[in-house]
Amino acid sequence: MEVAAAKLIGAGLAMVGTIGAGIGIGMLVNGAVQGIARNPDASGDVQTNMILGIAFTEAVAIYCLVVALLILFVG
Amino acid sequence: MEQPPKKWRYGINRWIILTLIILNVFFVYYVYYPVLPHIQLPAENVTEHPLFGNFYLTNTMVATILADVILILIAFSVSRAIRSGDLIPKGIPGAIEAILEVINNLTESTAGKWAKNIFPFFATITLLVLVVNWMELIPGVDSIGRLEHTDHGYPIEEVIPGSNIYTILSEQDAGEHASEEAAHEGGYGLIPYVRVASTDLNFTVALALISVLMTQVIGVRALGATYFTKFINVGGVFSRPIFGLIDFFVGLLELLSEFSKLLSFSFRLFGNIFAGSVLLFVIGTLIPVFIQSAFLGLEFFVGLIQAVVFGMLTMVFMAQATQGHGEHHDEEHAEEAHA
Repeated sequence: MEVAAAKLIGAGLAMVGTIGAGIGIGMLVNGAVQGIARNPDASGDVQTNMILGIAFTEAVAIYCLVVALLILFVG
Repeated sequence: MEQPPKKWRYGINRWIILTLIILNVFFVYYVYYPVLPHIQLPAENVTEHPLFGNFYLTNTMVATILADVILILIAFSVSRAIRSGDLIPKGIPGAIEAILEVINNLTESTAGKWAKNIFPFFATITLLVLVVNWMELIPGVDSIGRLEHTDHGYPIEEVIPGSNIYTILSEQDAGEHASEEAAHEGGYGLIPYVRVASTDLNFTVALALISVLMTQVIGVRALGATYFTKFINVGGVFSRPIFGLIDFFVGLLELLSEFSKLLSFSFRLFGNIFAGSVLLFVIGTLIPVFIQSAFLGLEFFVGLIQAVVFGMLTMVFMAQATQGHGEHHDEEHAEEAHA
């Protein structure tokens, strides 16, 4: 039973890492929206780069998620 | 100008949806309450015995084959639409044309003259991942399958006596008597025939391997052997001792980043879709009416975004690989001199 409890706590702790990704995506979109507001003509390029940046940032959060899922459902 | 809808058809869809909602509530609370499936990471085997040798057909493989069949059917319908000579495609061919046009424009604006080589990878990966991800939304995927005897399963019941179709009972449907019985001899678990292929790491790693490997191939085709100086950069070590050494280590980091691309490609798709399907399972058992529709919409969106991101990252990496890393500058100078 203790092992099961430790697994749940560990999975919860693993997800703490998503804080950083959340802040990162927030800053990214902040910059992109300001850029679009100043220069609406560039919105296409800015959007493409924003999505790429979000994908890279989100990957870190996804690593946390995968670790949490591995702790919960494997072994 | 749109024609106003005819009177006898006015608002028929809302009655269909209302009927479906009432049927949903009735089924969930009076017939069979949904059961949280056993969540596990590796794909399950569809059949109890191996097909041949040691080879099992897993349920994510079935999903991949289904996705391939759907894509081939779409390809046939598009090619028939093209051959019919209609310049304005309708229905599915029109949608595919719109998607491919967006992809093509994006590739041309990023990759320039290599767009013709890079476009097929972008389009193929995006379409395949899109079809595979959206399979998650089809009813019956993840919920129709064979029953297997497990230690901590659920009791089962025949839906219509004599039909050989069984359903899994939740604890509150089964009542105390049956759950005691189940505790004694174990119950049954469901192994779905079709499970979304992106929830299997094998699928995503295979796609990531193809993407990263073909990036190297396109890089070599564009730059020849000089492509590898991006990774092992000894050109400046002797002429400019300090900065040359820094360049050398930056090259090693580039080499490392190729491997981290593999990791991030495969885990991004896998993590998003697996977490999405777990979310759908849990929400479906917690609040089986209304709320799940909103989450299905969310998963529709996530599936689309992940497909586009996978394809777009592949395209951007390939476009970067076609551009030499130090030579870009020199080429411009050469062109200026030539002019």
